[in-house]
Amino acid sequence: MTAKITIRGLGHEYVNPFTRERVVALDGVDLEVEEGEFLTVVGPSGCGKTTLLNILAGLLPKTRGTVLLNGREVTGPGPDRGVVFQEFAIMPWRTVEKNIAHGLEIQSVPREERAAIVRRFVELVGLGGFERKYPHELSGGMKQRVAVARTLAANPEVMLMDEPFAAVDSQTRITLQEELNAIAQATRKTILFITHSVEEAVFLGDRCCVLSGRPGRVKALVPVRIPRERRGWKLLMSDPTFDAAKEKVFGLVREEVGKEV
Amino acid sequence: MMRGWRGGVRALGRGVLPFALILIVWALVTRAGVLPAIFLPPPSDVVRTAWAMLKDGSLWINIGASLGRVVVSLVISVPLAVGLGIFVGLRGRLSPVVEPIAGFFNALSGIAWLPLAVTWFGLGWVSVTFIMFNTIFFLVFYNTLVGVRSVPRIFEHAVRTLGGSRRHVIFQVLIPGAMPNIVTGIRMSIGFGWRALIAAEMIATSTGLGFLIYNASNFHQTDTIFVGIVTIGILWLLTDRLVLQPIERWTVERWGLVSSGR
Amino acid sequence: MGRYWEITSTWGVILTVSIATWSLAAATLPVPDYFLPPPSAVLSAFVELMAKGMLPTFVGESLRRILLAALLGLFVGVPLGLLLGISRGTADFAYPVLNFFQSVSGIAWLPLMLIWFGFGERTILVAVNYTVLFPVIFNALLGVRSVPPIYVNALRTLGASRWRIVRDVLVPGALPNIAMGVRLGLAYGWRALIAAEMLVGANGLGFMIFNAQAFHLTARIMLGMGIIGALWLALDYFLLRPLEEATIARWGMVQR
Repeated sequence: MTAKITIRGLGHEYVNPFTRERVVALDGVDLEVEEGEFLTVVGPSGCGKTTLLNILAGLLPKTRGTVLLNGREVTGPGPDRGVVFQEFAIMPWRTVEKNIAHGLEIQSVPREERAAIVRRFVELVGLGGFERKYPHELSGGMKQRVAVARTLAANPEVMLMDEPFAAVDSQTRITLQEELNAIAQATRKTILFITHSVEEAVFLGDRCCVLSGRPGRVKALVPVRIPRERRGWKLLMSDPTFDAAKEKVFGLVREEVGKEV
Repeated sequence: MMRGWRGGVRALGRGVLPFALILIVWALVTRAGVLPAIFLPPPSDVVRTAWAMLKDGSLWINIGASLGRVVVSLVISVPLAVGLGIFVGLRGRLSPVVEPIAGFFNALSGIAWLPLAVTWFGLGWVSVTFIMFNTIFFLVFYNTLVGVRSVPRIFEHAVRTLGGSRRHVIFQVLIPGAMPNIVTGIRMSIGFGWRALIAAEMIATSTGLGFLIYNASNFHQTDTIFVGIVTIGILWLLTDRLVLQPIERWTVERWGLVSSGR
Repeated sequence: MGRYWEITSTWGVILTVSIATWSLAAATLPVPDYFLPPPSAVLSAFVELMAKGMLPTFVGESLRRILLAALLGLFVGVPLGLLLGISRGTADFAYPVLNFFQSVSGIAWLPLMLIWFGFGERTILVAVNYTVLFPVIFNALLGVRSVPPIYVNALRTLGASRWRIVRDVLVPGALPNIAMGVRLGLAYGWRALIAAEMLVGANGLGFMIFNAQAFHLTARIMLGMGIIGALWLALDYFLLRPLEEATIARWGMVQR
């Protein structure tokens, strides 16, 4: 069975416009993401995690290698790869429900169906009662919920998430992680999740991909063998499997950070 | 470093290209004789006239007159307006009352004062400078006032809890806090002021760039008009580049503040 | 309730004191009569001009001209600015040109327009429309260029077409700048209108106060000035602010 996402020998280089140096962001990344898998990608700052995601999303061109989704080459951006950005990229001039509906509007989904789907996802992310609010009336955590709902509602093949919880406070972050977990369970979506928090990576991921420092390559793939139903912070706080995986990934990342310093 | 000046040259080229194109089109249109020269003189005529005016000093005199009025008005009205604006802004009972009045005079400022000014001061540079003075004054005063009043109270509280006196609050919180508005006010007032000045010079005096182009139109000296227009544009751009942007960069942008002025 | 009373009574006091001082000054200052007419003179000027039907005409003409310019600015200037701003190439090209021509007010073009069109309505309209158009186009262009790329990227990942991105992201995203441009354009335009009416004649408030000066009808000048200021405030309150309320204020994007 072919993997959902296949990345082979992916490379990305560019010329820094200020120093005129050639920068190799990614140098031969080989990665496969299975259908329904939740893969987290973690690594030191500047290792190319976001570059990897942007190439997958079709927002950045690759210099070499292949990137396949369902066996087909990825070219530009599209609704088959939904993206949740780190900064709140929901439109400030649209209400919560219109934002969530945006992808459906683009896909010309008829109105009644659209409304039903929006309602479902509003409930899923727990924003009932806030449908008519504008983003500036929402907290950071709520805005990200809207972003997640918008991406999910458009029913992408895979979800790409670029440190989506980095900009919210830690309590909200914990809540959002558990919610995302529930969503992953319920929808069985293939998710690629970038983070620089080792804890978050291990909490969420079926596997943790550790990227090396620049130039980015896959340093290790650490499986996290904890069934999704068990992934709650209270449960995992004293779980030895969780701790072991965390330690392993942490060690690997620190190695890479040490190389740069 | 290399990139610095090379990039700068490229940017300059990008800025100049559109104008070069306009010049070319202009020259072609006049060459084709579509319009009589009195409506649209060829660029060569304009350049020739400009050169003549630069040589015989007539352009400099008028530039000096206009610029002089700008400088005098700025030097007198900005400190006055800022000072008064801060003074009134600090008086909690007075400012909410003065604000709408200032807003009204702000709306009124400029050329609308000319007939009254002429009634009081007659034709000449006094009336014209008065126009610019009141444009700048009311705009800066109003913006300063609003600026002082809209400094978030939390900053004042912070200084107080550090043991600051009222004096500290005024000089370390309210005045810097009002700076974005003040700077915006000054920037806008120069924009409005220049325009009011040019208009006033057309009507009420016999020196200055406004007078130059109005007078030229009476004698159908279209090339002089173009010289005047281009001079006005260049002077404005220079004021913006060399005076206003640095001021803004030096204060507001450096402090990462955002203005909320009008 | 107490607050309202406090405000109205303060205003009442201020009004009374101002009018009293004014009348006193008018009566006692050692200047010719026409220097400082008392408030009563301004009032009678108002009555007189209303009775003769001249005031409604003056006001009507000026309003007509500025509203025409506003319409042109909104329906031609905004789309034009947006179009120019969408593509990087055209934006870079147009920016310096717009910047330059914006800084040369319509009034500076007036002498040329006098040669082209003479002393008439068209000259005034050209000057005023020019003055309003350029800040609007310029700011619309700036608005489009300053929409954060992440919004565009977000929509691309949802599979939006170029047209969709323009409609759903670039236009709303540019609105704060557009609002600022319209406000600035009209502010410059209103003043340019008054100046143009002074220079060209052809009716209007500018003509009214300019003409009044020639006959030393200072009360009429003051009346005209008051109306000019009040009309701008009205334009702001009844035209500009509602537009902003309905859009950018609602979205929390005001940057007045």
